[in-house]
Amino acid sequence: MTNIKNQIFSSYQKNSDLYDEIYDSEGKIKPVYKKLFDIYGGHSIQDYVNLNSKAKSSFFNQGITFQVYGEDNVQEKIFPFDLFPRIIDSDEWEIIEKGSIQRSKALNLFLWDIYHEKNILRENIVPLDLITSSANYLDQMNGVNPPGGIYNHISGIDIIKHKDGKYYVLEDNIRCPSGVSYVICNRTALKRALFGVFNHYKTHTVTNYAENLLDLLESVKPKGVDVPNCVVITPGMFNSAFYEHSYLAKTMGVELVEGRDLFVENDFVYMKTIKGPEKVDVIYRRIDDIFLDPLEFRPDSALGVPGLFAAYKKGNVTLANAPGTGVADDKAVYTYMPEIIKYYLGEEPILNNVHTYHCSRPSELEYVLENIKDLVIKPVDEAGGYGISIGDRLTQKEIEQVRKQIKEHPRKYVAQPIMSLSVHPTYIDKSESFEQRHVDLRTFTILGKDKEFVLKGGLTRVALEKGNLIVNSSQGGGSKDTWVLKKQ
Amino acid sequence: MLARVANNLFWMGRYIERSEHIARYMNVNYFSSLDAPNQVSQNRQFVLRSMLFMVGAPEQDPNKILKEEDVLFKIGLDPNFEFSILNNVKQARENANSARDLISTELYEAINKFYHFVLKYPKEIFVKSGLYDFTINVSEMSAILRGKIRGTLLHDSIYAIILMGVNIERATQVTRMINTKYNDALLTQGNHDIMFSKSAEWATLLKCAESYDMMRRFYKKTPTSISTLEFLILNPNCPRSVMNALNQVYKNVKILNPEKRYNKNSTAFLIGRVRAEYQYKYIEEIEQDIKSFIENILKSLDDISNKINEEFFNY
Amino acid sequence: MSKEYTVTYIAENTYENWVDNAFWQFLIIPEENETQDLVSIDFSNSIHAINQFSINGYGFNTIRLHSRKKFKQISFEATFKLLKSFQEPTHLLSSPTMEDYYDLASSIDFKVDFEKYLRATRLTSIPHSKADLFQFDPNLSIYENLMSLNNWVYIYIHYTTGVTDVHTTLDEIIEKRRGVCQDFTHLFCAISKQNGIPARYVSGYLNHESGFFGDSQMHAWAETYIPTLGWIGFDPTNNILANKNHIKVCHGKDYDDCSPLKGVIYTQGSNKTSHSVTVVGQQKAVQQ
Repeated sequence: MTNIKNQIFSSYQKNSDLYDEIYDSEGKIKPVYKKLFDIYGGHSIQDYVNLNSKAKSSFFNQGITFQVYGEDNVQEKIFPFDLFPRIIDSDEWEIIEKGSIQRSKALNLFLWDIYHEKNILRENIVPLDLITSSANYLDQMNGVNPPGGIYNHISGIDIIKHKDGKYYVLEDNIRCPSGVSYVICNRTALKRALFGVFNHYKTHTVTNYAENLLDLLESVKPKGVDVPNCVVITPGMFNSAFYEHSYLAKTMGVELVEGRDLFVENDFVYMKTIKGPEKVDVIYRRIDDIFLDPLEFRPDSALGVPGLFAAYKKGNVTLANAPGTGVADDKAVYTYMPEIIKYYLGEEPILNNVHTYHCSRPSELEYVLENIKDLVIKPVDEAGGYGISIGDRLTQKEIEQVRKQIKEHPRKYVAQPIMSLSVHPTYIDKSESFEQRHVDLRTFTILGKDKEFVLKGGLTRVALEKGNLIVNSSQGGGSKDTWVLKKQ
Repeated sequence: MLARVANNLFWMGRYIERSEHIARYMNVNYFSSLDAPNQVSQNRQFVLRSMLFMVGAPEQDPNKILKEEDVLFKIGLDPNFEFSILNNVKQARENANSARDLISTELYEAINKFYHFVLKYPKEIFVKSGLYDFTINVSEMSAILRGKIRGTLLHDSIYAIILMGVNIERATQVTRMINTKYNDALLTQGNHDIMFSKSAEWATLLKCAESYDMMRRFYKKTPTSISTLEFLILNPNCPRSVMNALNQVYKNVKILNPEKRYNKNSTAFLIGRVRAEYQYKYIEEIEQDIKSFIENILKSLDDISNKINEEFFNY
Repeated sequence: MSKEYTVTYIAENTYENWVDNAFWQFLIIPEENETQDLVSIDFSNSIHAINQFSINGYGFNTIRLHSRKKFKQISFEATFKLLKSFQEPTHLLSSPTMEDYYDLASSIDFKVDFEKYLRATRLTSIPHSKADLFQFDPNLSIYENLMSLNNWVYIYIHYTTGVTDVHTTLDEIIEKRRGVCQDFTHLFCAISKQNGIPARYVSGYLNHESGFFGDSQMHAWAETYIPTLGWIGFDPTNNILANKNHIKVCHGKDYDDCSPLKGVIYTQGSNKTSHSVTVVGQQKAVQQ
């Protein structure tokens, strides 16, 4: 251990089996983290405890909270925020940015294709039943031309760094990815608490997201509209991402509406204002497909707007993201991403996919059955982490059981190598010290008509439980400010 | 602005104003009674009943002995009592939540802090020793909110709607206080031969409306029924008077609907009509029949609120 | 030859409590196609809400209403006049053999193009245990097979109203062997799809003047895709081919895509709905 002369990092324990973001391969602190390490080291633990609790109460007072429903009361909680930022240098960022845009573009072309000519299915590069059996595939979207030709206007890509030091994509989120408001809040909170550290780094801003989002929405306006009226639609204030919805509406300077504020007349959409109906042209929707229009999808949806889909199909209003986009962020479709990128763009994927073994293919099935111990087994059609088996945590008996299940229904399962997420020093309340915790990164990509933008920053999520690989906020995850450095 | 959100803002204004008045009413009455000039006014049961009357939950059973801690808890922090300060602040915040994208971060943060202050206030401390601290803080935080509303929002239709809510509620609450204190003055008079018009309850009433000092300055005399009512109802320069509130509501409705033509169905017309009635009223007319005045003004305020709802929130 | 029809559709809804806000969408307008010419549409409702003509997600014409005044009772009445032309289906005898058909249907293009009508849906899934209810005969032509399926469904299910509703799935229908036109149609479609022949659910009106089965409501039948011939209509409820008496409104994967009336009603309490349909035909010789 080199260079640790101060209290705050003195008890930091480095597990050499894990990839620690702030150390290089020789165990030295990376140059890019050096200054930060020294500055933080200059603080005493007590300073740090104070700063940390101030940052927390700032989040709380700003109402940047989500609600947890208990047995007899509702509690408000903040997303835990860690004051030690993650740094990504400009070279590494370039790969992430290019890779994110590449994926978004490929997914967009893929969506156009499967809702039009379906060439990738006809050539059997992606299996037909994989698409049509997906609950997110909407028959009604066949032949619809979304304004500007864009389906996935906003994508969130979850990226991890593996032991080998390379980035891998875990998931593409192209329905209603959330989290971007936390990127901005984290930055604000860090600035308030430790503004001094910013003097030593040239960090890209993250506050330009809203203007780019508004630009995007205006770029996909319906035909014949001069200055489009854009709105954000939310399920309402009890939604866990309501803060984000209101934040985005506010910073874009557009109305935040609920389904009941809108109505459709003669296939145009209007909102109910104090001065009567006002036409709406572009809707950034933060409600799921099936709730959009009770006449077309779930009839009991109280969140949607009757007649909205007909207005959309007629081209009188734009929905971002387009309905039916979710079919492309399916776990099973993910496994075909390298092929999808090659097919539409003729390029090699810039960001790695985690290799996936399809148990439906006999040769791969054999490998999987032999190597369950080193693999994660996932059912193709379950969402939300259900039914996942992590090989190295199974007993011999459980392995046998999984093997039996796979043999019975090989089509139902895919397998991936166990990925180890990189770790990053994170302040832990309980021990009042810094410890290694697993992190991932969600990037935010905007794709418009002749427009592409990746927010230079991102949401670094951190699993606060020791050894935990699941960073989701619902599982007690926190987040870190993420700095993308400018080119020197 | 969305009609639904306008409705939220209107009610946000009303709930902020309402919590403030209830808090100050509790504070002033409780502490004035401790050394009140007559026994009835000093009687704790009398004060507690007055508070319940004011918030709209009068105790019907004249023989019931009220427990101080229960009454204070009910009005201050009871989550199950619709009109408690806690629920008023909660409602103010929920309404602010759904209009969050329209109001300033500063205003939202202040409302949010207010809510957490009330929510976290320890119940035991409040009912035993915290009444002063709690109610003063509620009044002060409401004053901060008013400052944030004026100082951080654009003075456009959003501002106008909030102020309409604030002022309609203010007129309503001041009228409710007049009603309660009128009732109290009658009670003290009945038992102890104190002249109704010189009752100490009038001074308490002025203090509840934060208008005692200015009233003394204006009249340079001990408050009587007639001077107090004149000041609190008709004086357009008293910031808490019904007249002043009506003027504010009128001014703000013109921002929302500036049309000048004769339109007897508009909100502005109705407000103007009510305003004109009180602008040229003799206080003696009111004093002769306070009961009818209270019924009439509450009905007019209700009509105005309904009309606003119909014209602006229903689109 | 063509025939002129007048179709009258009446729906009445009564609600226990006041309704403040409501939307309805009617999928009842006869389709304009090779054999159907719409002459006139007349639509009215008892609360004087404005009729909005629109197109639903599957491309069929709809009428939408939005009421903002409160009411407890509402009635709708639609009258359509149309000309239905027809010819004797002699060309059907030239349908391909099963063998030829399977050659064609095994191509990926065919699967991609007809996937939507080959996919088993909630209402057209046959339970595994009943997978061999009806077998296609490899020695018959595809048309002959479908005709015998039509006949088999007609015999298998006894036309009975009030036993099933629009949510009843096939496991129950197969068990009870009772149902109405949509149940006949779902069973027909399911078996056709199971045998690799694209099938779709058709919603429309039936001229009852010749004494066909079906009550005075909307009727349902099936269309299957036969290569070289196109989409051919089978009415298993009456064991006939769809003909001059069948006035088509729309088609879809199953009833859910074709529901004639959808409503979003903001009220509490119960409600009563009644529908009635009358079809009156008048034979006409149209000069060619």
